[in-house]
Amino acid sequence: MDIRRVAVLGAGRLGRGIAENAASKGYDVVLFSHGAGGQDALRKIENSLDRKLARWAITEAEKRVILSRITFTLDLKELSNVDLLIDATIDHFYTKQELLRTADQLCQPNVVFITTSSTLKVSDLARSITRSESLVGLHFIPPVPEVPVAELTRGHKTADSAVAVVKNFAERLGKEVIEINESVGLVNPRALLALINEAAYMLDEGVGDAEAVESIIKESWGMSQGPFEMADRLGLDLVLSWMEQMHKAYGDRFAPCPLLRRYVREKRLGVKTNLGFFRYNTEAKQED
Amino acid sequence: MKIFVLNCGSSSVKYKLYDMEGETVLAEGRVERVGQENGVITHQSTGKEKISKTMPILEHTVAISETLKLLTDKEHGCIDSLDAIDAVGHRVVHGGESFSQAVLINEETKEILDSLAELAPLHNPANVMGIRAAEKLMPQTPQVAVFDTAFHSTMPPHAYLYAIPFNLYQKHKVRRYGFHGTSHQYVTQRAAEMMGRDIKDLRIVSCHLGNGASIAAVSGGQSVDTSMGFTPLEGLMMGTRSGDIDPGAIFYLMKTYDLSLHEVDSLLNKHSGLYGIAGASDMRDIEKGISEDDKLSKLAFDMYEYRIRKYIGAYIAAMGGIDAIVFTAGIGENTPALRSRICENLSYLGIKLDDELNQKRGQDLEISTSDSAVKVFVIPTNEEVMIARDTAAIVGKK
Repeated sequence: MDIRRVAVLGAGRLGRGIAENAASKGYDVVLFSHGAGGQDALRKIENSLDRKLARWAITEAEKRVILSRITFTLDLKELSNVDLLIDATIDHFYTKQELLRTADQLCQPNVVFITTSSTLKVSDLARSITRSESLVGLHFIPPVPEVPVAELTRGHKTADSAVAVVKNFAERLGKEVIEINESVGLVNPRALLALINEAAYMLDEGVGDAEAVESIIKESWGMSQGPFEMADRLGLDLVLSWMEQMHKAYGDRFAPCPLLRRYVREKRLGVKTNLGFFRYNTEAKQED
Repeated sequence: MKIFVLNCGSSSVKYKLYDMEGETVLAEGRVERVGQENGVITHQSTGKEKISKTMPILEHTVAISETLKLLTDKEHGCIDSLDAIDAVGHRVVHGGESFSQAVLINEETKEILDSLAELAPLHNPANVMGIRAAEKLMPQTPQVAVFDTAFHSTMPPHAYLYAIPFNLYQKHKVRRYGFHGTSHQYVTQRAAEMMGRDIKDLRIVSCHLGNGASIAAVSGGQSVDTSMGFTPLEGLMMGTRSGDIDPGAIFYLMKTYDLSLHEVDSLLNKHSGLYGIAGASDMRDIEKGISEDDKLSKLAFDMYEYRIRKYIGAYIAAMGGIDAIVFTAGIGENTPALRSRICENLSYLGIKLDDELNQKRGQDLEISTSDSAVKVFVIPTNEEVMIARDTAAIVGKK
């Protein structure tokens, strides 16, 4: 099946990134969200493109073309005319299960489903839908348009033909697709959470202040963002929720750092509240 | 012999059908927005009404298939069946070092073409898509690839090598290739015809000035140097491309703005040139800006003219003299003020321009005066007829 029109469920950072990436590679994208702030998704994608324009990565004309390919809707009925579905909603099993069931009823039978979940297994999610052979796990890493790798997993029933469709799509988005076995946290999120948690412990124990810990890790490993900035951009509530799922799966080595819990309790959630490990302005830029 | 010439870009297909007896065009047209639901086909058979239609054209095969239907259409076509087409000539941008002339396409050449995609990622894959689509639709018809780089394959090593470790050339073929070869070849041959002289005795500088621009030194009918290099980014200032720039400035910008490879590539290819200086990539807008006394438009024009003049001077040195200068392509053919400025600044060579002739458009013209020491021509380029000629020659040999 020739893929032209792609549905992205979830207009959070991951969903918006996938939408922007797919539209910039020529796909028509329908972005769905029921969550608060979903209506802002297009504006946020435009802001992201403006940042690229300011860095000469795209032209004004390219920005307009990319934006013209993305539409936002609250109406799931539009799923009846898409060629591929990508679930990029938050990792909450019952919410995801319900959404996938609805999509299963609305999409054409030959449409392949992708879930970006990193903490829920494809095999478990596939049980809730009739097209269990057509569900593939593909974990994109934010910022999606810039990160050139994606982790692919298949469930017990996933068909080779569905994997081929997903690989082809991801490669057209410019991703190197690396297939791994199903596991909670996959590779990147698991390693990242361990790093964020350990950095939070260093801060909590007074090894150094946030800038010092961040700079040493960032500079020595040549990262564009250190663990604190990555956590702030993901949202500390989301990070804590993942940590708790990892804790459940792997035991005390993933016990969330108390500092992380305290920040979340204080609604110090990162970029979205302008304060996390660092302080941010309204344009999500880090303040000194 | 009838030759169908195809020029496939990533989202467009241009075509011409030639009857090689007299090199007459039987039909021509273009398909735009390939890959989209609202593709547009514009077609005209010679002597018939021009037609245009909008329809979903999701891939190159569909674009070419629709084109072939129009060629054989009772009302708008010009041939009874596709069997009337003797061969298809494809424009291929990059031939690398493997192809120094046009070739008949077979499995082996297709494999080499696929491997060349790395050298011209924006162009070659689309060219190859066109070849595969045409083969599918006309499996019995010979297909020929004609390369933009081929004409420059006569450049000597001292002109095509970069002064970087030699093993990078040996291992990765990093060297200057040059582009617009078919155009440079056509206009220089035509200039020799118009001068009534054997091209073997002539030293000509050919200026292909379109949105992409290059200049070539053609001595004895062979390209001895050209301004574009490993990619079409080197050389003249262009619509949105920088042309020559000190690589040190690129390193500095990458460091200062923490630019990625993609960002710096886009900066130099899409945000520079006339657009980078004056905010407009079209020379008509630059000229309008000058008429409104816009300082940056004037600066952009001065820079554009100076870079061309500098290259002409360099190529006179490379060839040990000059007999003619040829201007072609969008800007070269339609900007008398630019030609006039260049020639005025080269008047020490004895160049004299006929101001009245310089204002004329749309035809092959000698625009220098009869006593000019160097002849100056405006020759609308015709890459398609060169592709048709090369294709006919290859098929004729078969």
